Amino acid sequence: MSHLLELFQPDFLLRDALVASVLVGFICPLVGVYFVLRRMIFLGVALPQLSAAGIAFAFLAYRMIVGVHQHEEPNERLLAMAGSFGFTLAGLLVLAALERRGRETVEARIGTTYALAAAATILFLAADPYGEAQMVNLLKGDIVATSGANLSLLAWTLGAVALALLAFRKELLLVSFDRDLAVVFGKRAGLWDTLLYLLIGITISLGVMTAGPLVTFGFLVVPPLTARLLVRRMLAFSLTAAALGATTAFAGFYAAYRLDLPLGPAEVAVAAVLLVVVGAGRGLVSLRRAGRRSSSVSGAHAPRDDNEHRHVG
Amino acid sequence: MSALLTLDDVSLGYDGRPVLEHISFTVERGEFLALLGPNGSGKTTLFRGMLGLIPVLAGRIAWGWDRLASPPGYVPQKESLDPIFPLTAHEVVLMGTYARLAPLRPIGRRRRRLASTCLAQVGLGDLADQPFWALSGGQKQRVLIARALAAEPEVLLLDEPTAGIDARAEATIMELITHLHRARGLTVILVSHHLRLVRSLVGTVIWVEDGRVAKGATAEMLQLA
Repeated sequence: MSHLLELFQPDFLLRDALVASVLVGFICPLVGVYFVLRRMIFLGVALPQLSAAGIAFAFLAYRMIVGVHQHEEPNERLLAMAGSFGFTLAGLLVLAALERRGRETVEARIGTTYALAAAATILFLAADPYGEAQMVNLLKGDIVATSGANLSLLAWTLGAVALALLAFRKELLLVSFDRDLAVVFGKRAGLWDTLLYLLIGITISLGVMTAGPLVTFGFLVVPPLTARLLVRRMLAFSLTAAALGATTAFAGFYAAYRLDLPLGPAEVAVAAVLLVVVGAGRGLVSLRRAGRRSSSVSGAHAPRDDNEHRHVG
Repeated sequence: MSALLTLDDVSLGYDGRPVLEHISFTVERGEFLALLGPNGSGKTTLFRGMLGLIPVLAGRIAWGWDRLASPPGYVPQKESLDPIFPLTAHEVVLMGTYARLAPLRPIGRRRRRLASTCLAQVGLGDLADQPFWALSGGQKQRVLIARALAAEPEVLLLDEPTAGIDARAEATIMELITHLHRARGLTVILVSHHLRLVRSLVGTVIWVEDGRVAKGATAEMLQLA
């Protein structure tokens, strides 16, 4: 219990890391609901890897054009951000364009993107003799090392992403659920898709730099999948996913601190355990309902659904 | 009657390759017409072209009113919508009101009431809070018709509204569409492959076959078919 109370002390040594964890845990699922609803879950693996390749490329390009840079230089994070965001957004736009025109399966495109991005990351690092040592933290996303300045950038940027998702949720839902209807209504579906991709790109770039590809992918996908089992309305889906993400990030942080575990994997593991528990609970409820239904059907005729054929007008 | 929609020497297709060429006809206000034809004849291409969902390759489609101010009521096939979305029947209908709603503007009580009214008009007022994916095929189709009504349209365009539902639900859907046409004076354009349904209810048929299109009274067109 004392460990838990320690986390809330104002002078807690890892306070910035805790806040960063909860922020990433809260915002990634807000973006992730669109991954789940648009059935692009595997993009959640490929894009963080692309983001990592972008970081490696930015440092390699900097060394080739400007020269060797020192670790912890003020522009290091900016450089990493530019590379990460550029690669993520470019990858998203190319994948979206291929989706409309391509004939091969979505899985093939995303699998190829992942393999290419992973290979490119290693090759960029190998080509930069100074790179590996300097970039390993940025590529892994060393959340424990989050500084006050990084936290401010994270809070402001992810706050803006959350606000945009909330403000434009009607439009983003319409183009995601029924793109044809959006076009019939004269909405610029391509523009709204681009905005969504932009928000996804920003979130993934910051998520990967702060918490690494594993945590970013985990929180993009797992909390929305858990929330999908619990709610039946769209707004409740987004908010529940975000709340579950923030809560499991906090619980994972506490578990890592208490049991001296690696932070990122601990957070993802807690989120995954919750998914399994909720999934099992839902399965049990469905089984009980099915059991009750079959016993009532065997006792009497099933009730007719009058709404199906009710007179209308 | 006045012209609601005019196609003038229009060619429609995909990736620059025409599926239908040199099509010309006019849809009058208050008409109830069906797009009929064999599978693969281009019915869906014509339908999507009329909705502005695919670009016109040649010629011109003219709408007789401001489409942005009053968009058509579009009813897609229910199978085209993904059941993964956690939406209630009311939330789906509410989307119909987004047509005239600018970004950043709240939905508001008036639009929520309008969605409830439209849902009641299709006989599903008491299923407003049910998940859309949990409804039967016929009920889903009626929710989509309610969504089209929520756009307060002059014309309803329906893509195979009775596909994949049983005979009783099919009759209910057609009864509802006929009622909306007669009571509200809505122009109705529907894609169908059910000659039997069309014969008894629809006044005009557009027959699509071999890249060509012909329009005429139902009885006359079905004799030629």
